Amino acid sequence: MTSLIKVENLSKNFGDLEVLKHINIEVAEGEVICIIGPSGSGKSTLLRCINQLETQSGGNIYYTDKNICDKNNDLRKYREEVGMVFQRFNLFPMKSVLKNIMLAPVLTKKKSKHEAEQKAIELFGKVGLANKVNVMPSTLSGGQQQRVAIARALAMEPKALLFDEPTSALDPELVGDVLTVMRQLAKDGMTMIVVTHEMQFARNVCDRVIFMDEGYIVEEGNPEEIFTNPKNQRTKTFLSRIVG
Amino acid sequence: MAGFMLGKGDIMDLSFLKVLMPMLLSGLKITLEVSLSGIFFGFLIGCLSGFALQCKNKIAKAITNVYLWIIRGTPLIVQALYVYFVIPKIIGQDIQSNIAGIIVISLNSGAFIAEIVRGSLEGIDPGQKEAGLSLGLTPFQTLWHIVLPPAFRSMLPALFNQFIITVKDTAILSVIVVNEITKQIQNYAAVTFNTIEAYSAGAIFYLAIISILIVIQKQIERRVKA
Repeated sequence: MTSLIKVENLSKNFGDLEVLKHINIEVAEGEVICIIGPSGSGKSTLLRCINQLETQSGGNIYYTDKNICDKNNDLRKYREEVGMVFQRFNLFPMKSVLKNIMLAPVLTKKKSKHEAEQKAIELFGKVGLANKVNVMPSTLSGGQQQRVAIARALAMEPKALLFDEPTSALDPELVGDVLTVMRQLAKDGMTMIVVTHEMQFARNVCDRVIFMDEGYIVEEGNPEEIFTNPKNQRTKTFLSRIVG
Repeated sequence: MAGFMLGKGDIMDLSFLKVLMPMLLSGLKITLEVSLSGIFFGFLIGCLSGFALQCKNKIAKAITNVYLWIIRGTPLIVQALYVYFVIPKIIGQDIQSNIAGIIVISLNSGAFIAEIVRGSLEGIDPGQKEAGLSLGLTPFQTLWHIVLPPAFRSMLPALFNQFIITVKDTAILSVIVVNEITKQIQNYAAVTFNTIEAYSAGAIFYLAIISILIVIQKQIERRVKA
């Protein structure tokens, strides 16, 4: 099977600091991958490189065999197909949540307002916020805001979604609703790369877990294997600290 | 006749206002014309400079920095004299005093608005821009639809404050014969020698105008915060 996203020998430096070192990942269509690891291990930077919010220092990233790191590549088009959900939601505070969702489809996909609105309302139902269509983002809880952010990304009808610690900024009791939505997405066959500290989610929902430390992929494999029988000492230490 | 006490027992006659008031009002018209045009063009200049300071183009940045350096490093009165007396010699054509006034005010307020614009743009969470880009918006769409609305909103109080400063700054344009409020006061004083009345009434007139503007500013601040 050909991969949807392929990261090849990717490295990233911030000045003298090497954040990513020769990363290789292949993501098949429909696959759900969780990236775990301690803070500062490069997980978020990797995700941001995949979305090209950071420019890599070396290596390449392919999307359906197109090299998106190539300067001639239409990055905008690529981002229509690979969406991103941020740790801090990044909703647009001056627009209602409906407008938040409609904005990009209307601007980039030239959808009619009516069509975009229909789609948005459908997505509100999907993320469990059917009664919150016209409110401003600031009136919502963090968990609700994150679900709006997921709906906003879904409105672009992406082929894949990148999640950058989507529940890390949430109060513990709000995490569940967001994970439920993500679980449903996984079930629906969405290709997902999820940077997370939610080990239960990684274990139960992912097809493959990648453990990163100090800019390297230390270990990867199916979740049961990683969680019950990690091969690498660093993975063991990390998991024993987190899972306890 | 209404009047108020000045010194030992003499009643000051307010009838001088019959002559002075129309002069102040026609001065006010010029003051507002010059201030409003000045702040309008100043806003355009300020936005361009503010963007230039934020962008990666080194030449644009350098030109802007030289402009800011010159405007901040010279007194407004010298800038006014320069535009009115020196620039015409260089280009070989006279500049009407009101036009010269608008040019000076635009250039001057533009330099300060540039800082306001830069500050507001920097105050916008970078995550907003990233969210826009990650949704497939172009950099321009991201700027226009996502970054600018909240930036403009946050810069409104500072912009209006700059407008108030500009209204007062126009007084300096009296040296290049712009017939704004201060010039009118000077004209009246020169003809009648009623300096006390002229400058007192003039100061109170400014105070009244600026007070109204301050009330408006408070309203704007309240709305922006809400």
